Amino acid sequence: MSKPIIQTTELDFYFKDFKALDKINLNVPEGSIYGFLGPNGAGKTTTIRILLDLFHSKPGQVKLFDQDLLPNKVELLGKVGALIENPSIYKHLTGRQNLEVIRRMVGAPKSRIDEVLKIVRLTDNANKKAKNYSLGMCQRLGLASALLNDPDLIILDEPTNGLDPSGIIEMRELIIRLNKEHGKTIFLSSHILTEIEKMATDVAIIDQGKIMYEGKLDGLRSNDPTQFLEIKLDNAQKAIEVIKELNFTISEHDSKTITLPIIDKTDISKINKALVQNDIEVYQLKSTEETLEAIFLNLTKKLDQ
Amino acid sequence: MNLALQLRRGISAEIFKYKKTFTLWLLILAPAFVPIINFIILWRRGPEMIKEGMNAWSTLISFSIDPANFLFPFFVMMVALLVNNIEYSSNTWKLIYAQPLSRLALYLSKMKVFIVMIFISLMLFGTFTILVGLSMRVVQPGLGFEESFSFGFEYALMFKIFLATLGMASIQFFISQQSKNLILPLGIGIAGLISFMIVSQGWEYAPYHPYGYAILATGGIRQEGYQIWADMASVYKSLIVATGVFVAAGVIQVKKRIM
Repeated sequence: MSKPIIQTTELDFYFKDFKALDKINLNVPEGSIYGFLGPNGAGKTTTIRILLDLFHSKPGQVKLFDQDLLPNKVELLGKVGALIENPSIYKHLTGRQNLEVIRRMVGAPKSRIDEVLKIVRLTDNANKKAKNYSLGMCQRLGLASALLNDPDLIILDEPTNGLDPSGIIEMRELIIRLNKEHGKTIFLSSHILTEIEKMATDVAIIDQGKIMYEGKLDGLRSNDPTQFLEIKLDNAQKAIEVIKELNFTISEHDSKTITLPIIDKTDISKINKALVQNDIEVYQLKSTEETLEAIFLNLTKKLDQ
Repeated sequence: MNLALQLRRGISAEIFKYKKTFTLWLLILAPAFVPIINFIILWRRGPEMIKEGMNAWSTLISFSIDPANFLFPFFVMMVALLVNNIEYSSNTWKLIYAQPLSRLALYLSKMKVFIVMIFISLMLFGTFTILVGLSMRVVQPGLGFEESFSFGFEYALMFKIFLATLGMASIQFFISQQSKNLILPLGIGIAGLISFMIVSQGWEYAPYHPYGYAILATGGIRQEGYQIWADMASVYKSLIVATGVFVAAGVIQVKKRIM
């Protein structure tokens, strides 16, 4: 495994008595798009603020690029670009002037402004005042300022929040491009699973300040390989007897529908054959994989409370 | 990266963000306000204002200092508010504090720009006042402005006011930095100013009131033989308050959770 770009160790954080983060251990591999997923209020933004030292952690809890954050903050943040929640933009300045403010802080060459404007496709609107920008343009300007110091790690907090569908697609393509073409490691938070699913190579799921899962996106699925088969038929009673003879357990049924867990696709044809041989009319066979959505909801059960 | 380089970057960014803002105009126009009024008064009604035997330059200076003593604290309040509120209203505290500069450097950059803004506008005020006097030689000769006048005196006086103002300026800076609210720092500033005016009517501890240091520092200006550097008590008090408050504000800002 490549070395972690971000590593947190038993990271705790309190707001007065409220424990916002509970022993968070994250390992963000180099070159990954790391999705940091969780419902609203789970602790995503708090974690990100700690990674940027906007909230101070305790010594040794956070490492970036394999170095302790606190003693090396200035040097380490020089390799990090960040976009935190809602856009931070000086509305009275143009897009280009906004970038100039940050450029002066990070000490990048002047030519870099045109480069980042090009990357986020904002060149044509660079000389417009930021107060006339749409939310999507604001987000892209924020991303541009995060790119000014040509960072190895980009931290994005809900980058697609509030964007319309085309804005979301554009932002997604931009993120993938930064990862694939420019080799940036991307740490990306979101509360929308499908969003992360389309981009991330690795995920962590956080809920109520605790990490529920961390690993490859695929690993989340194979964690629980159960599939379900839903059968619609005319005589459920008789069918249940037939299925039970084949050593399957029925998880749910009513007079016309039976649902049962299966291991693989061959079980479906096995059951179907037995039902047909016993003169049961089968109207529909539907196998359902447990969706990531369901896994996510399972891991973060509090959502519906 | 050493602190000096960080400071240079921080200050350079800090100055740039005031481009095309009200703040920049305020720095130039506010110090011109009283001199412009004085110019009009002396130009139209000079002979009535400056009678035979009065020293034209000292009259002009007291015409300038009196309203300025009242208006300048408001100017300081506004500048303190503007340099800090620009970050609150743009939601950019988190942006600047996530940059690769130490918190100390970022704090000092803002503080330094604030102090320099006050200094520049006071020096402009002194310059404009001198220009009013000089222009009278042309537009209203005979008032007495032909007499020689030590420009150094005017600038030294401005510098003394600057030092004596730092105390209340530090308090306003601190409150404006910690408060997203616009009204609170103004409210505290106005309350500070008015409370000084009340206690100065006779309370023995009035000279310790930080909002009165600048007024007390120029209190003897009307008296014959006023020595700028003679009575420095208010200046020292101001510098002590400023040091204490700026350090405390810095410590708080370095430790603060940036939302």
